[in-house]
This record gives sequence, structure tokens and C-alpha cells, in this order.
Amino acid sequence: MGPPPVVTGISPKEGPPGTRVTIRGEFLGTSVTDLIGLKICGCDCLLSAEWKSKNKIVARSGPCKGRGDIIVTTRSGGEGTSTVQFRGYHESIGPVKESAVWVEEAAPPSLPWGRRPMSPTTYIPPDPLGLSTEGDDCKFPEEELHEMFPDGSGKLSDDNFQPGWYLLEHHSNTSFEDLKAGMVFLQRKVESQKEGQLSFLKANTGAVMDQLDRLVLLKNMYEEDERKNGKEPLPSLQAAIEESITLADSLFSEILSRKDNADKTREALSLLTRHKFLFQLPASIDRNIRKKEYDLVVNDYTRVKNLFGNTDVKLFQKILGEIDKKIEDLKEKLYNRMKTMPINVQEQIKYIRLLISLNWEGDAAWVAINSRKDYLMSLMNKVKDHFKQKEEQEFSDKNKRKLKEAESEASAVRGAWCAAACGALSAQLHALWPLARRYFAGELAGEPTDHQRQAQLKEMIIAAVELFSDHMRTCLLSGTGSKNLPIDALRVRLVANLRHMREAYEELIKLDLPSQPLSIVEKVIFDYRVYGMTMFLQRAHKRVKGLAEKETWKIEEFTDYGAITNLPHLLETYTEEALSAIHKCVSGGGRREGVLLAEGGEPARAAIKLTQGLLLAYVAVLQDLALHLDDTQEFNNNNLSVALEQRIEEGASNSRSWQQRLLLAGTNAHYTRRVTLTNISEAFHNYGFPAPTEAIQATKEALSTLESTIAETYLEHKGDPLVGTIETSMDMGRHKTDADAVIDDARPYVYEIINNLIAVHAEVDGVCGAASSRYVRLICETVCEELARLAACAPGAELVAPQAAFQARLEHTLLHVATAEHLTRKAENYLMEALSTIPPLENEEEKKRMDSIVEGFKKRMELQLASLNCNMETV
Amino acid sequence: MLETPNPSTNPRNLYTWCACLVSPAKMSKKPAAQPTLHKVIMVGSGGVGKSALTLQFMYDEFVEDYEPTKADSYRKKVVLDGEEVQIDILDTAGQEDYAAIRDNYFRSGEGFLCVFSITEPESFDATQEFREQILRVKNDENIPFLLVGNKSDLADKRRVPLDTCRERAQHWQVPYVETSAKTRDNVDKVFFDLMREIRSRKSDDSRATNGDVKKKKGKKMKCSIL
Repeated sequence: MGPPPVVTGISPKEGPPGTRVTIRGEFLGTSVTDLIGLKICGCDCLLSAEWKSKNKIVARSGPCKGRGDIIVTTRSGGEGTSTVQFRGYHESIGPVKESAVWVEEAAPPSLPWGRRPMSPTTYIPPDPLGLSTEGDDCKFPEEELHEMFPDGSGKLSDDNFQPGWYLLEHHSNTSFEDLKAGMVFLQRKVESQKEGQLSFLKANTGAVMDQLDRLVLLKNMYEEDERKNGKEPLPSLQAAIEESITLADSLFSEILSRKDNADKTREALSLLTRHKFLFQLPASIDRNIRKKEYDLVVNDYTRVKNLFGNTDVKLFQKILGEIDKKIEDLKEKLYNRMKTMPINVQEQIKYIRLLISLNWEGDAAWVAINSRKDYLMSLMNKVKDHFKQKEEQEFSDKNKRKLKEAESEASAVRGAWCAAACGALSAQLHALWPLARRYFAGELAGEPTDHQRQAQLKEMIIAAVELFSDHMRTCLLSGTGSKNLPIDALRVRLVANLRHMREAYEELIKLDLPSQPLSIVEKVIFDYRVYGMTMFLQRAHKRVKGLAEKETWKIEEFTDYGAITNLPHLLETYTEEALSAIHKCVSGGGRREGVLLAEGGEPARAAIKLTQGLLLAYVAVLQDLALHLDDTQEFNNNNLSVALEQRIEEGASNSRSWQQRLLLAGTNAHYTRRVTLTNISEAFHNYGFPAPTEAIQATKEALSTLESTIAETYLEHKGDPLVGTIETSMDMGRHKTDADAVIDDARPYVYEIINNLIAVHAEVDGVCGAASSRYVRLICETVCEELARLAACAPGAELVAPQAAFQARLEHTLLHVATAEHLTRKAENYLMEALSTIPPLENEEEKKRMDSIVEGFKKRMELQLASLNCNMETV
Repeated sequence: MLETPNPSTNPRNLYTWCACLVSPAKMSKKPAAQPTLHKVIMVGSGGVGKSALTLQFMYDEFVEDYEPTKADSYRKKVVLDGEEVQIDILDTAGQEDYAAIRDNYFRSGEGFLCVFSITEPESFDATQEFREQILRVKNDENIPFLLVGNKSDLADKRRVPLDTCRERAQHWQVPYVETSAKTRDNVDKVFFDLMREIRSRKSDDSRATNGDVKKKKGKKMKCSIL
């Protein structure tokens, strides 16, 4: 047995029957079932008791009156006690008084002819003390009375009447004298009641007599009546009543029927007013739809559904049907509007929400997403068709205009296409993606949890982006029209297009799209960048190819490697320009983009390949320029005097001789190999591109080959005629040879050889500068080879003549002396070989003579030898 | 009769007169061995936390939901400085709707906790009215009275400066305590402090002579007649 319940708190502490009372205390039961009794002021309230916790019970007070304990009884603790008390009081219910208990509102009909039984509560007993009642002011507090007389009552008629209470309640301010007088009055009254009936009759003799008179009168009247109407008065009465009823009916039937009609009308009117909302709804829906205040419509619709959704009234059902139809129309309208593109995404979401709140069957948001995607697709295609058409139009007009102009127009059109497509993509995805996100976040109802939906959305976005990328590829990468565009315009266009795409790409990144679609766009951008790079390089290639026409043969500069024209510089400039354009336009990667020319990447390889093609084209140009023999121009095969007459600086570009061109091409090649290629390589490095080592290497090799080809060609055309003259000149002299004549000088052919060499040297040196020795050496070598050949062919019989031998030795020695600076090992070998066929000198005298002749030759030929040896690299 | 107050017309005397009529058996039912009862009344504007303080003190619970009180009564035994006493708490309605019936309640109170919310300056302003009403009803300047600033846990929403509160308490010459019915901060303190004041007040009264009491009653009588 646990501790008994103790009630220590009551809220509120007083109230009329039915007051909701919160009882607090301790040990008020361990569970609902533990509570087995609750009495408030003695009234059992267990029925209404709600057990909340062991400290709290909520109940309703019973019909008790007065102050009393709250006794809780539990199975576990038995009957409890209370430290606080509840006071119940009755309220007289008035029309303005709030009441917690049910009171019949309709008052019972007051019958004017009937008698209302007097309510006992309104019965006010006469003042027993015969004292005038005092005012209500200064009333004795009722609570204190309750405290003083816990079981008492102040009512005279009650069993537990307490005189003290009564006195305190009614006469707390009455003086003792008055009270004594009252006591006397009361005693007298009691006394008079004790005296009995006789005294009562005595006191009321007049009244009794009067009553008797009345009774007699009544009896007389009754008898008279009976005489008049017989024993049975009722039938005649009934007939009279019935007649009066009929009369009354006939009198009132019209009025009543009119009243009925009026009532009905009134009823209908009140019905209309009461359900004004419903009846006016169709109209108001129309109005609100016109005003586009769909929220109001939805609200009204929901309200009407709640209010009349389950109505059985035919009229209401009819109106509801009408409303439903309107709502269906509205749904249809909203649906179409939601689907109709273009539409602001906020507005679309608004429509979706409206559709959702209108219980549109179907997944509104999903439809919206789909329609948005379809719109995007169709927009893309439309953009494409539009610009295609425009482009074709441009081209069809091209007979009116120049091709170039048309092409620049076309490129502009493509640029606009690109911009429009980018704009469309970013704008539409900008709308579509947040919509989808909200959809999948569950904000827009539907079935976002469907697994297929996610995949479908992904497919949609990828499809859209792929379409975009396809279009961009057709638009930008398969460009045919931009071939003839000026380079600046091309660059501007490229940069603009790239910027458009990057902006769109940037937008997509901002949208936080998944990486797959982003990568597709990135790929397009990347490809376009590669395309741009290719374009620039191809452009440069083309320009390099066109260098042939640019060649003026004007010597721009005398470098360490000889005189060069502007070709190497132009090559460098073109390459440099292309590289800078690449660097400026396409190399710089944007956000989340790959490096264009990553080491070892496909684009880098392509770039190197293109560069190689470019450089090789240059080589081809050089080769073409060098070796293309113009029919009108003959190789200048004239002798020294002619060669010397030609002044290099004066030569007009087109009048430059072929061999000079050859030589210039050679030096150009040489210079390019040595200087320009290094510069180009450096330029690549400076722009941060991977070094085109392979291309440079290949070009170097090609240039070397070209140089040798040029040298050979030169030799062929220059050396062969020179060598050819030797034999004839030699033979010419030999016929005149006198066997006895003292030989004091070489034959003229020697001088001719030397002169020719000088002419070659002059020519080569004029062009090649320091590099000229190569050509001279080659010529010398050929000459020596020829001499050796001639020496070998010389008939042995002639060698017998010492004079001839001396002569030959002298000539070879002189040649050796003259060309000593230019002799390669091979050439020297040839000379030695030639000398070896000549018998040696016989005596010292001969030798001395030869030496003196050689010395004389040196003295005489000092100028010639100097000119031959000037500006020479030593071997 | 007006000039010379007759002892027989004094309600208190009339009571004793009437009490004689009551049977002695009923008299014995009156609390005899019950500990001393201190009647505390919670006053203050609606929603300041009077009921919350009361319930926290009585049952250690914090009621989150707000339900306006009409008039609640609580009574329990507590140990005050080693002495077992009973505290009777009358939790009154703060709403203005019940302002008319307050007089009746205040009459029975021996000590008052005048509560306001430190987050609500209006409730603080209203304490002035309550104070005046209490003084008028009790006709006693030194009635045990504590000014209580509740909701001290909501310091960040405080809108009644501490200085202002203290200033008013000083002006009234009553203690000022800040409580939090939520965190039970100072809840016991205010009730016990008030009970101590009531107790010391009662012992003062009992020490005073009977004549003094009579004098007072006489004065009171005069007022009521006038």
C-alpha cells in the first residue's frame, strides 16, 4: 500500500458545475487504472477525470455547491486528503452570460392564459424579523461565512439552516436594539401561528364571509346555465368551435398561403445569401481567371470543396459540377500555359503549384521539365535552321557581291548563331535545372522519388547539351566560309565565339550541373580551341606558302651567315603572329577547362605537326624559288668582267640574276636554319607551348639538304662551264708551244682559271659573305679534279720534253699558290695527283728559275690573289 | 452610533457572538494542530509567469504551454528555517478581465509576489497599479511584498533594465529578486523570503497589544462607514 493521495493544488479554485479543473498533488495514482475515485465537494467526478500523471488530474466539477475538499482515491494509496478546496457555485444563466453547461436556448412558450408554476428559487420568503433589508453594500463576505459554518446554510427553508449565518448575511449592520425588536416581531408571529384555526377564522371573518357569498353566486349561475343549455352543453360548443375553425380557416387560408409563399421566398433568399459564396463562385472564378488571380480561385475552390464537397443538395451539386467544369478548364488552361514556352520559370512554378493545389492528375512539374527540355531542343534546332537559312541566303546572294564579303557575312552569321545557341542553352538550362532541382527536392509534388525520373532527367540534360555541342560543332568546327577571312576578323570572331561559349559554360558551372554534361560542353570548347589553333597555324601555313610571291630578292641584311632577303623574317613574323594569336585567343583555359597544349596531348602533337608542315612549306618555297629555272633568264655564264660589272646593290629585284637568287636562297636557308628556327623554338617556349623539337629537327634537315642541293646546283651551273673551258684553253696554248723557248710564265689558261675563280668568288662573296667559301672551295675542287684528269690524260711522249714538264709544273704550282686558301684536302690530293704525273725538275737551276717565276707571279698577281683570298674563312 | 463605535456592531465581535451559537463539536473540527499557514498571493500582468513560478515551486515542473489562469489555489507543507509551516498560494488572473474580483482575493493575502517579465516593459509598468491596489485593499504600507522580475533566462531579450527595477523596489522599500521559472533560478528564494517576511510580520503583530489591534479595527470601521 503506497502513500495516500494528497491534493495540494486546484486550478481554478472555484467555478460553476462543469468547470474544467486541474488537480495537482502527490501520489495521485500510478496509472489511469489506479485512479478509482474522485470527489469534488462531495460530487463524484471520476467519470470526467483524466489521469495525466501521478501529480496531475484533469476533471470537470460536478453539480456541487459550496466549498469542499477534493478527495482522490487510488487503488495503491486508498482515500486521500486535500489541502486546498474547491468552491462550486451556480450561475443564473442570462443571455449575455457565458456558461460551461448546456442551457436550452429556446425558452418555453409563455402561455398567457396558462399559469406558470412559480419557481422555488424565485420564492423569496418574507423577512422573518420584519426588518427592512439593508442595501447590498457592506455585505458580509460569503467565503468567511462558509468558513465559519462549514455545514450551514443561510436559507430559511434549508435543513441545515444556521441562524448565525442568516444574521451575518442579512443584518450584519443592524443595531442590537433593532435586532431585539425583530426578535419580538418574530416571537409574535410564532405565537400567532400557534393559536390555531379559530383565531385564524376570527382574524379573517370578513374574507370568509365574502368567500361564502361568492360560492352561492357561483352555484346560482351554474344552475341557470344548466337550465338554458340542458345537461349536455358540449355538442353545441363543439359545433360552434368547429364553425369558428372553418371560418377562421377560410379567412386566413389566403393570408396563410401568402405567408407561406413569403416564407419560402424569404427562405430561398436567405439560402441565397447564406450560400452566396457558392452561387457566385462560378462567376467569381471566371472573373479571377480573367484577372489572372489564380490563387484566389484555388482558395475558393478548396473552400467550396470543403464546405459543399459532400453535399446531397441537387442544386449545390449542379453548381459544384459547373465549378468543377470551370476548374477543369482552368487546369487545362494552366497546363497549356505551363507547357507553352517561352515562360518565366517563376511563373511556371506558380502554374505548377496551382495545378498541384487543384489536384491535377499527373505530374505537373515533370511535364514542365519535359516541355522545357523539348523547348530547348526545338529552340536549338530553330536557331540552327534560322542561321543556316540566313547563311544560305548570304551565299545565294554572292553573285551580286564579292565572295569575300559574303564569307565575312557568313562568319558573322555563324557568330550570331553561336551566341544565340549559347544564350538559349544557358537561359533554358538556367530555368530547367532549378526547376528539376526543386522537383527532386519534393517541392513540386509529383513522383520525384521515381528512380527512372532521375535517369531521365540526366538523359534529357545530356541530350540537350549534346545537341548543343553538335550544333556548335557544325556551326564552328566545320567552318568552310571562314577560309578567306582576314586574319584579324577571324581572330575577333574566334574570340567572340569562344567568349559566348565560355559564358554559357560558366553559367552551367554556376548551376552546379553534373559533370557529364559539363564535360560535353567543355569538349566542344576545347575542340573549338584546337580548331582555332589549327586555323591559325593553317593560316600561317598558307601565308608561308604565299611567300614566293612576296620574295623581292631585295637584300635586307648582311648577317653572319650571308645576305638574306626578308623571307626568314617573314617566316618568323608569321609564325610569331600565329603563335601569339593562339596564345591570346585559345590557349588560355577558362574555369574547369583543360590545358590546350598539354605536353604529349593530341592538340600538342597536332600543333607540332602543323608547325612542321608550315616550316617544310617554307623550305619548299625556298627550294622552289631557288631551283625554279626561269626560261627567260639564262645562267650568267659570262666571264669575270661581266660578273664584276654587275653591281649587286643596284640590281632591281626582278632583274636579279638566277645564280644570285640561288645564292640568296641558299643563304636564306642557312640563316633560317641557324637563326630563325632557334627564334621560333624560343617563341614556342615563351608562349609556354611544348617545344616543337621534331618539327625543328625535320626542318633543319630539310634546310641542310636544300643548302647542299643549292650548292650542287650552283656548282653544276657555274663550275661545269668553267671546267669545260680549261681543256680548250690549255690546248689552245699548247699548239703555240715552242720546244726551245724559255718558259718564263704560265700559259694564259692558268690566268683564265684564276680570273674565273675570282669572278665566282666575287659573285658568291657579294651574296653569301663569310659563307661564300663553301662555293669557292667546291669550284676549286672541281677545277683541281679537272686538272688532275687532264694531267692523267696527257700523252706520255710529250712529258719527255723537259720544257713541257717545267711548264706543267710551273702552271700547277702557280695554281696551287693562287688557290692555296681554298684548297680542300680532296682538291690538294687532286693537284698532287696531277703533279705526280709530271716528271720532277732536273736541276737546281730549273728550280731556282721556277721559284723566281713564282715570286714574280706573286708580285704581279698580288691584287688578284688578294681579291681571291679576301673575306675568307681559313680551311 | 457613528460617534461612539459600539463594540456590539463590530463584525468581529458579532462573529464571536455568533460563534457561541455554533455547537462546540463543530468548533473542534477547526484546525488545531495544523502548522502555521502563510497566505501568499501571486499578482502581476497576464503571461508574466505567475503560474509558472507557482508550479515550479510546488511541483518542480515547468509548463511550456500558456493557459490563462482564473484563480488557482495551492497549499503544501514546507520547512521554513527548521519550522514546519504551510504555504497557501493563491495564483490570480493577470488578465484585466478579472481586475474587478481582485479586491476580494487581495483581502485574504498576507504577502504578495508582484511578478513582471523583464522582457515586457508593459508588465513592469503594471506592477505600479498592482502595488497601489494592494496597498488600498490591505491599507498597510508594510505588507510583505516582493518585486519579482521573471524570465531572467531570456537575458538577450531583456527590455527592462536592471537599474530601473532596483530603483522601483528601492522606492517602494521592498526587495527585488530576478527569477526564472524555466531554470528554477531563485524560485524557492522568493517564496521563502516572502514567508520569512510574513512570519516576522506576524510575530510583530502578536507582540503588539490587543488594544492596538482594536484601535486599528476601529480605524478601519470608520473608513468603511465613511
